[in-house]
Amino acid sequence: MAEESKGQAFLDKFAEVSARIGNQIHLRTLRDAFATVMPLYILAGIAVFVSQVLFPLFLSGDSLSAAQVWGSAVTLGTLNFAAVILAGVLGYCFAVNKHFENAISCVVVGISAFVIMMPQTIVATLGSAVYATNAADKTAATLSYAVDSFSGALGMADGYALSGVDVTGAFATSNTGANGLFGAIIIGLLAATVFIKLSGLEKLKVNLGEGVPPAVADSFNVMIPMLLTLSLFALVAAVLAGFGTDLLTLIATGIAAPLKGIMNAGPWAVIVIYTLANLLFCLGIHQSTISGVLAEPILTMLIIDNMATFAAGQPIPADHYMNMQIVNSFALIGGSGCTFALLLDTFLFSRNKGSKEVAKLSILPGLFNINEPVIYGYPIVFNLPLMIPFVLIPDLLIAATYGLTCAGVIAPCVVQAPWTTPPVISALLATGGDWRAAVWQVIEIAGAMAIYLPFMKVSERAVQKQLELEANAA
Amino acid sequence: MNILLACNAGMSTSLLVQKMRKEAASQGVEATIEAKPLNKALEAIGDFDILMLGPQISYAKKDAESFAGDKPVIVIPMADYGRMNAKGIIAEATKALANK
Repeated sequence: MAEESKGQAFLDKFAEVSARIGNQIHLRTLRDAFATVMPLYILAGIAVFVSQVLFPLFLSGDSLSAAQVWGSAVTLGTLNFAAVILAGVLGYCFAVNKHFENAISCVVVGISAFVIMMPQTIVATLGSAVYATNAADKTAATLSYAVDSFSGALGMADGYALSGVDVTGAFATSNTGANGLFGAIIIGLLAATVFIKLSGLEKLKVNLGEGVPPAVADSFNVMIPMLLTLSLFALVAAVLAGFGTDLLTLIATGIAAPLKGIMNAGPWAVIVIYTLANLLFCLGIHQSTISGVLAEPILTMLIIDNMATFAAGQPIPADHYMNMQIVNSFALIGGSGCTFALLLDTFLFSRNKGSKEVAKLSILPGLFNINEPVIYGYPIVFNLPLMIPFVLIPDLLIAATYGLTCAGVIAPCVVQAPWTTPPVISALLATGGDWRAAVWQVIEIAGAMAIYLPFMKVSERAVQKQLELEANAA
Repeated sequence: MNILLACNAGMSTSLLVQKMRKEAASQGVEATIEAKPLNKALEAIGDFDILMLGPQISYAKKDAESFAGDKPVIVIPMADYGRMNAKGIIAEATKALANK
C-alpha cells in the first residue's frame, strides 16, 4: 500500500513538473512557433522529394537540371531562409503568449535583431567567374575572368583549389537557413523579451500632450524600446566582431552542434525523452508537452539539415541519422505508442465489444496518426497493462530504426513528411523513396501487434473481472 | 451558442467537432462549433462563448483562463473525449454557460 502511494506521488509530481514545462512561456512559444512554420518545412520536403526522387525517374541531363531549378527555388525560400522566418514568428508567438498587444512589432524586432547578429563579411562559395570594373571610367565595359584561370597564378601548393572568397553585402544561407535555426531561437526570444520589457517601462513612454492623436503617441512608444533593443544587439555584434567572431557562429558551434551530437550519440537521448513523453500521455497529458520542448526542436533541425543536404545531392552524414522522421514515421505509427497495432489486434483477436467499438471509431483517424480516441477511449490512460507496451514499443522502434539506418539496411531520412501521413507512404516519403523502409514499417506494425497482444488480453481480463465484480455487487 | 474546442494540434478536436455539429443539429440547437490548436484558440477566444480543452492539454487551463476573461474554460473529461461523446460534451457546455 505504501509502495503504491509512493508510486502515485511520483506520477503526480511528474505530471506537475511536465505541466510546468508545458506552461513555461519561452518553451511554449518555441512549440507554437515551430508549429506555425511547419507547413514551410513540409512544402520543402515535398519539393525536395519531387525534385530529387521523382524528376530523375523520367528526366535526365539538361531537362532534369532545368526542372530541378523549381525545387531549388522552393528550397531557397523555405529551408535556406528558415531561421530568419523563425526569428520573426517567435517574436509574434511570444508577444501573443505574453498578452502583448503590439505583436507585429515583435516580428520586426525578432527578424531585425537576428540579422543584426549576422557576420557582416561572409565567406562565399566561388562561382565560375570574377568581374572587374574600371574605377576611373564608369562607362567602360565590365571585364570578366574565369575563376579557373586563377588557380595557377596564385601559386597555390599542390592539392589546393580555390573554394571561397570573402564578400560583403551578402547573406550566407548558412546563417539564414537550417544552420542558423538555433541562433534564431535564442536571439528571437531574447529580442522579444527585452523589447516587451522595455515597452513596459513608463519612463520610456513619450508624453506628447492631449492634442496629439493616440496613434502617434503609440508609434513613438514602440520606437524607443525598439531603438534601444536593436542598438543593444548591435553593440553585442560589434564587440563579438572585435574578437573576430559572431553570435550565430558561437551558438551554432557552441550549443547547436553539441545538442545535435547528443541526439546522435546512439539512440539513447531520444529514447529517454520519448519514454518520459509517452509515460506522460499515459497520465492523460499530451506527450509533446515534454518531447516538443526537449527533443523536437533539435530533431527538426536535423531533418531540415538533411533536406538541405539531400536537395544539394550530397550524402547524409552519419551524425544526422537520428532525426525527427525516425520518431514520427517509424516510432509513432498510428500516433503515440504505435496504437495502430493495438487497433489491428483488437479487430483480429479481441472479444470485448467495448474495445471493438473504440477500435472502429479510432481506425480512420489512426491511419493518419491521430489517436486520442484510443488513448482516452480504449483507454490507455491509467490502464497499467496497456501503458507498458505504449511506452516500450516506440523505444524499441526508435532503437531498431536507428540501428537499421546505421547498418545501411534502410536509407537515412531526408524528407520531413507531415506527421499525419499514413504508414508505408510516410516511410517512402521520409527516406526519399526507399522501398526497404516501407517494408520495414510493415514489419514494425507486425512486431508491435505481437507485443501489444498479450497486454491487450491481460487488460481485457481485468476489465472483465471488474464487470463481474460490479455485477456481483449490484 | 459558440463553442471553441482546443487541443494540441487541433486534429483530434476537429474529429469531435464534426460529431458535435451533427448532435447540435439533431437537437435543433443553434451552435457554432470550431476546433483549433491551443495557441490559435487563445487568440480566437473573443469570438466564442466558451472554450473547451482536450484532456491532453488540461495543464493549459489556467493560462487559457487568462485569455478568456469571464468566459468559461472547461477541460473535457477523458472518457467523454475518448468515446467522442458529443451529446455529453454539448450538455456540459450548456451547463457551464447556464451557470455563468
